[in-house]
Amino acid sequence: MMQTNDRTFLWRRFTLREGIFLGFCATFIILARAGLRLHLHLPGHVMFFTMFFFLLARGCVPKIGSATLVGLIVSLASFLLGMGTKGPAVFVKFLLPAMLVDMAGYIFPAFVNSMIACALVGAVSAAVRALSDTLIEWLSGMEGEIILQKTIVTAGLFACYAGLSALAVPSIVRRLARNGLIDSGADEKR
Amino acid sequence: MKPAVKIPGHKLLRTSDYACQYMTHDSPVHHLGAGWKIGICTLLSALAVGVRTPWELFALVAVTLIYYFAARLTPFDLWRDTRFFVFQAVIVICLYCIHSGLAKGIWPGIRTSVQVILFYIPGAVLLRTTRTGDMMRGLRRVVPYRVSFLVFVSIRFVPFFLRELDEIMTAQQLRGARLLPRQLLDPRNWGDLFHCLLLPLMVRAVKTAEEVSLSAEAREFGTREQRTYFEGVT
Repeated sequence: MMQTNDRTFLWRRFTLREGIFLGFCATFIILARAGLRLHLHLPGHVMFFTMFFFLLARGCVPKIGSATLVGLIVSLASFLLGMGTKGPAVFVKFLLPAMLVDMAGYIFPAFVNSMIACALVGAVSAAVRALSDTLIEWLSGMEGEIILQKTIVTAGLFACYAGLSALAVPSIVRRLARNGLIDSGADEKR
Repeated sequence: MKPAVKIPGHKLLRTSDYACQYMTHDSPVHHLGAGWKIGICTLLSALAVGVRTPWELFALVAVTLIYYFAARLTPFDLWRDTRFFVFQAVIVICLYCIHSGLAKGIWPGIRTSVQVILFYIPGAVLLRTTRTGDMMRGLRRVVPYRVSFLVFVSIRFVPFFLRELDEIMTAQQLRGARLLPRQLLDPRNWGDLFHCLLLPLMVRAVKTAEEVSLSAEAREFGTREQRTYFEGVT
């Protein structure tokens, strides 16, 4: 994001402005989840907006930890607002894909400028999110083959929705940068 | 939250808008401390993954349901909380039946599905019986104040962005953007969703973040390691 005050606020990395903006990305995920739970009942559709805002957070604040911070805020806010139908597992549900987005940003910092890379990262992160239930199912004694089949179905649906929404991220980041609202990708920081 | 509705000739129906919504009630579970509830939640969830025989499972279902209804929650609330897992259970039972045949697959399918549902019910009770304020007080003890500030900012701005979203949507619909729910079912209209709704929303978010941070920094918020309070308040 555009900087006027470089004093860091959080984790010796984010300024207050960046932190608040990432908090707003979390707000949008909460709004999308609240809105979708009232209207649609399609499995996996919630990843459409969740991954979109994780990737957008990484695109607007190109620092390692930006998506993870959004994931942490969403988890805590969902827990406080009683939106976490899976209880404390909500932390894994949001933090796991967010950390993968950050990991992708560490390996390939400019991935948010490429539609293919964005779709790939979005799809993989969302698919990995499907693994969050697997441990519980495994501990419950479910057969490995059944777990695998169920995970493939869930992960496939998550990946489809996340991949579709991720395609829009590069153009939005480019338009925000072109209008001087965020830093252009040239000075990305790890 | 919808108020409890009294229908003549019927029992008092307590309705919740969404799963795990906090319900105000005078029940023994509501009176328990958050720490006790977390302890019970952990114990019941651990037992849920450990049971194997039908009798163990039956006993655990009974105990979990007693705990749930002791919070004076209704079967309707239970349906709201477990609806998602019931759909998952259908998939799991079908997969077991396909894999092992109907006779051999039905019991393991039901057992594991019930175990997964039982694992999450105590968490739902915790969320339904613990006030947000109590959770926030607990959160302040474990989460650094800078992170909890961002969490509360995020929650505080939900109504603000809901209004913004509504205004942007109305303005863009007047310009001809296809943003009605039924129009958005068609993937060809998703471009309008991103460029006419989400892009202006992000612009608003960037601007608002700038204003809020300037306002906070002008009050020297975040300059010290410890949380500071305005003198007039303290």
